[in-house]
Amino acid sequence: MLQFSLLEQIALAVFLLSGVSFFLYHLLLRLKIVLKGKSDFTVNDLPKRILRVFNEVILHKKVASGNRKSAGVLHAFVMYGFIFFGLITVNHFGMAFGLPIFNESIRHTYFLFVGAPWAILCSIGILGLAYRRFVTKPEALGKFSSTSALVSVFIVTLMTTYFIDELHILSGAAEKVNWWIHSGVIGGFLFLIPQSKHMHLVLSPFNIFLRPFEVPNHGAIPIDLEASEEELDNLLLDLSRLSKDQALDIFTCVECGRCTDVCPANRGGGILDPKYHFILDLKDPMLESGDVNVVDKINVEAGWECTTCQACTEVCPVGNHVEKADEIRSFQVLAEGDVPQEYQKLLRNLQETGNTEGASSSAILDELPAYTSDKELVLWLGCFAKHAMDPNFINSIRNFVKILDSAGVSYGVLSNEQCSGDPANKLGDKLTYQLLMDQNVEQLNKVKNVTSMCPHCVVNLQKEYKKYHEIKYEVKHHTQVISELLEEGRIDINPGSLEKVTYHDPCNLSRTLDEVSAPRNAIKAAAPEFFELDENGKETLCCGAGGALWWKKDGGEGRTHLLRAEQVIESKTDTVVTGCNFCYGMMNQGIGPLTPADQEPIKVKDVADIVAENLS
Amino acid sequence: MKIAVLTKAIPSYESSIRVDSSGKWIDESVVNYVVNESDSYALEEALQIKENIGIETEVVVVTLGSEANTSKVIKDGLAKGADRGIFIKNDSVTTDPLSIAKLFSEHLKSENFDLVLSGLQSDDMGAGQTGVLIGEMLNMSTATLAIETQAQPDKIKVKRELESGWFQWVSLPLPASISIQSGINEPRYPSLKGIMGAKRKELNTYDGSPENQSQNFVNLYVPKNEKVTEKIEGDTDTIVSKIMDVLKNKLKVI
Ligand code: SF4
Ligand code: SF4
Repeated sequence: MLQFSLLEQIALAVFLLSGVSFFLYHLLLRLKIVLKGKSDFTVNDLPKRILRVFNEVILHKKVASGNRKSAGVLHAFVMYGFIFFGLITVNHFGMAFGLPIFNESIRHTYFLFVGAPWAILCSIGILGLAYRRFVTKPEALGKFSSTSALVSVFIVTLMTTYFIDELHILSGAAEKVNWWIHSGVIGGFLFLIPQSKHMHLVLSPFNIFLRPFEVPNHGAIPIDLEASEEELDNLLLDLSRLSKDQALDIFTCVECGRCTDVCPANRGGGILDPKYHFILDLKDPMLESGDVNVVDKINVEAGWECTTCQACTEVCPVGNHVEKADEIRSFQVLAEGDVPQEYQKLLRNLQETGNTEGASSSAILDELPAYTSDKELVLWLGCFAKHAMDPNFINSIRNFVKILDSAGVSYGVLSNEQCSGDPANKLGDKLTYQLLMDQNVEQLNKVKNVTSMCPHCVVNLQKEYKKYHEIKYEVKHHTQVISELLEEGRIDINPGSLEKVTYHDPCNLSRTLDEVSAPRNAIKAAAPEFFELDENGKETLCCGAGGALWWKKDGGEGRTHLLRAEQVIESKTDTVVTGCNFCYGMMNQGIGPLTPADQEPIKVKDVADIVAENLS
Repeated sequence: MKIAVLTKAIPSYESSIRVDSSGKWIDESVVNYVVNESDSYALEEALQIKENIGIETEVVVVTLGSEANTSKVIKDGLAKGADRGIFIKNDSVTTDPLSIAKLFSEHLKSENFDLVLSGLQSDDMGAGQTGVLIGEMLNMSTATLAIETQAQPDKIKVKRELESGWFQWVSLPLPASISIQSGINEPRYPSLKGIMGAKRKELNTYDGSPENQSQNFVNLYVPKNEKVTEKIEGDTDTIVSKIMDVLKNKLKVI
């Protein structure tokens, strides 16, 4: 066993202490900033949270997902290497002070069964990742990262010196030098981690544990028009501040670029790059000011491009809620009064007429039976259906009521239904939002069950309103109603024709409402030749209409609103079914002009259509 | 500098218009009144002048009409940043530009505005004369169709839109009355601070009914909306003579 002089022991102690102090200093500095954030962390539902940490940290479910499976496995090798080397490291330094935790035989056994295999796997892992980063160079990883290169060298050095030590390849002074190199590298980590993206190895388990369950997770911004000037100033100041959860995200980000990879705005040629605009651009300002008031550092133009689809949040391996369109837009609208012209018209329509189109009447509203208290369901139409924003969709509404009729479900519409407020909410005009919400909540709290064909409406009625009001009613998306009627045997479907049918998951239904099975149950009952699109379920690609971009789609030069329609055409399906009126409209608009001349245009249907057409 | 911005409440495009029981005006109760589009550009132009000119400047929104229709218009102007409002209360239906200009001039005269900005024309009546007439009545220099302005403490340069892509720069001594073309700028949206501050701003209300109007509606009706298709067949001569007959006797346009 190696022997250490007092001088060596002192040098080692000083080195380790300064490393640990440096590490703690930077950790606490960040923690202090995080704690300045608004709204507290919630730790409700512990079992669910622990399970999530198990899945996402221990099992690497998100790290090794999609087309990054192999990179994820390599990463797992490195992470497990780190964990198993914990004891080896304690023993390593303990030895210097004459306090090893392993005796020779345990040490040898540990080496044979844990140390050696994981040292090899860890080396394979880090070399594989280095190859990917410096040779394959996927675009999402961004520019050259010197800390990543350093980490690769560090880990390879650690593993090599470990083997040299365990196999007694060197002796005497050379053995000591080898020992010191190993120590130096471990100490080096203490200096390297806190100032780089490698901080994720400390923070991400906590970040994943603390992540709010709601997606997206933007706080309510209640506005009291009678507030005093001081209260108003506080509200406006708050608009520029991140929440604790968001602040922790920023320091946890591992800069992998997955959020940008999946972002429809970015893929459609927009400037929005969520990795930078919503995360990394805020890091330096936070460290410089020591505070969380950095919302105004978000690129405004990028913020207006976001479809608020939540693909970025869904994919993030370290548990970040990435999207911050809500924050920057609220700030622009409420504090700065700066709103793109096309949206001003929309917002005025909402204020003046309670609907997005500025319409004063609705034919389909008049056609359908009015709700009375003896009826089971309120059929909530939403502006899209009510004002025939895609005239074909009227047929889908008729099909849905046909299903309800055939199941003997009684329903009616509310003559005074206002826009759910979704576009105002998404555009950051929380004042207009509240105006509409308050009127809706008042009438909805008098009923029990509500259903809507618009996932945007469902999200607001069910989840968003709750942030402001006590909600006494229940809301279901129509695909959930249909799926239940099927299960209960209240409707019967004959398997329909043998044409190819696929399903486009609406973001609001899949990611926000966590509903991917109900629409599939219904479609599969009617379509024997059902197949999945490449990006499906919670990994769906936004149609481009979200975040109120429906009202802007013909503005910019971006192709965000065509990406999904293109994918659908490439899938060679005969029919695409969707569960959202906005997706329905976008598909119709995209598929028409994009279909090559020699190809039959693909039929666009709502879940209600394919079910109603095949009712037995 | 003192700038008046004339804004008008007009029925929104999306409103369904129907004639009221008198047969001489529209049924206002079913109409949604909104700010006339080009007026909102005039207001934005005034606010930008105030922000950039470098001397103490006051922007006053001025409107005329019934309280029910116009209160939103004034509130909106104050919320966007106008310093105070003048409301000329007039419950009668006044549509002729001359009576309107007289009413405005009467109440604006003592204010001695350096600049009066108005929208190019109202989207409901579309006469496009109010700004020019007021200029004349208050002894101001006038220009119409401004697509760019450069204001200085004693004069204003205006780029005017002419026909087929031509434009013209003119320099006007103050006081001046200028009508503003839509699209000249990007109107702002009222911020929360603006909306809440608007309640505390000064609003002067005057009664102002016109004495006798030089223009009255005799009969108002909604254009008939019907589809009639007639197929005209035969050789060229028959077709021509048949078309002539339709134009002369049926449609009475020749
Ligand atoms: S929410 Fe969607 S559009 Fe917005 S940044 Fe994330 S991935 Fe991009
Ligand atoms: S926010 Fe998440 S997905 Fe985006 S770069 Fe950072 S770690 Fe990767």
